[in-house]
Amino acid sequence: MKRIVFASMLVLSLVGCASQPETSSSLIDRPELKVDPEVVYTMGVTELFQERLAQPDGESLLQVQFAVEARSDAELAWKVTWFDASGMMVKGVGESYRKASLLTGQTRYFKATAPHSRVVSYQLHLREPQ
Amino acid sequence: MLIRAVAISVGLTVIAGCAAPTRYIDPAADDGPVAMTMDYRDFEKAATDAVEDMLASGAVNNPNGGRYIMVVSRITNDTMQRIDTDQLTKKIRVALLRSGKVVTTTAVGLNGAEDEMSMRARELRDSEEFDQSGVQRKGTLQAPDLSLSGKILQRNHRVGKEQQVEYYIQLSLTDLASGLAFWEGETPIIKRGSDSSVSW
Repeated sequence: MKRIVFASMLVLSLVGCASQPETSSSLIDRPELKVDPEVVYTMGVTELFQERLAQPDGESLLQVQFAVEARSDAELAWKVTWFDASGMMVKGVGESYRKASLLTGQTRYFKATAPHSRVVSYQLHLREPQ
Repeated sequence: MLIRAVAISVGLTVIAGCAAPTRYIDPAADDGPVAMTMDYRDFEKAATDAVEDMLASGAVNNPNGGRYIMVVSRITNDTMQRIDTDQLTKKIRVALLRSGKVVTTTAVGLNGAEDEMSMRARELRDSEEFDQSGVQRKGTLQAPDLSLSGKILQRNHRVGKEQQVEYYIQLSLTDLASGLAFWEGETPIIKRGSDSSVSW
């Protein structure tokens, strides 16, 4: 009898210790804008818009536009990573950063269009090229 | 004699030690030096600009539903370099295919089919050696709706003590039914560097 009670308690304690597996949604905390700290000294992102472009076939494409204002002459590298509704990355044409030069006081606008209509979110990366 | 041999060995060791080691470059994080010639980064930029603009403009949306069929026409290389224009067109083709809006035919081309197997496989028709149920039937190949053509231009200038090389990647997407260019784009790539750099 003692053995059964002991075994039951052991099983219960093991079950109690088991933690629920974390679902992917609890892990997602993805900022839309990721700016390299070094970039902050020379420029700032003043606007960040997104809209869905309606397509003739009834679907729509996500488009992102952002504006960067330079406080001094600077180089900028940027890229957008696209994600579908499940949070999975959707491949675009290339993976590399796009480079841009900014003059002091200049505000430049950049635009990127999602590679597929299933894209629902994005992450914009800004950094200083080496 | 021994001293000379030791000196040569040491010299060779030093030279070998100074050589840059061969390493892999990750295209997603390549801040390496820029060449005056066109490199993969230039093709990627041109392809990205072209595809994003095509998609955003709606030019590759078939109003009748389904995917457009595209054929790659002539991309003229008017530069001083030997460029395989497939470096550009393949990226565009892959991206358009992934977009779900355009599929490229390899059965038709200006200099013959890109993949001759589409026609060769049909030569098996009426051959007693092949199970005819698996042989392609007549009238199954799809004709293209769109044609991708273009030109890559190069212009060299001397700017002060430097050299400026300008590349223009011009592309057109023509509707074969009407002959009208549904989409056109140009990506300029301008490089300035040492006058001793070679751009060909």
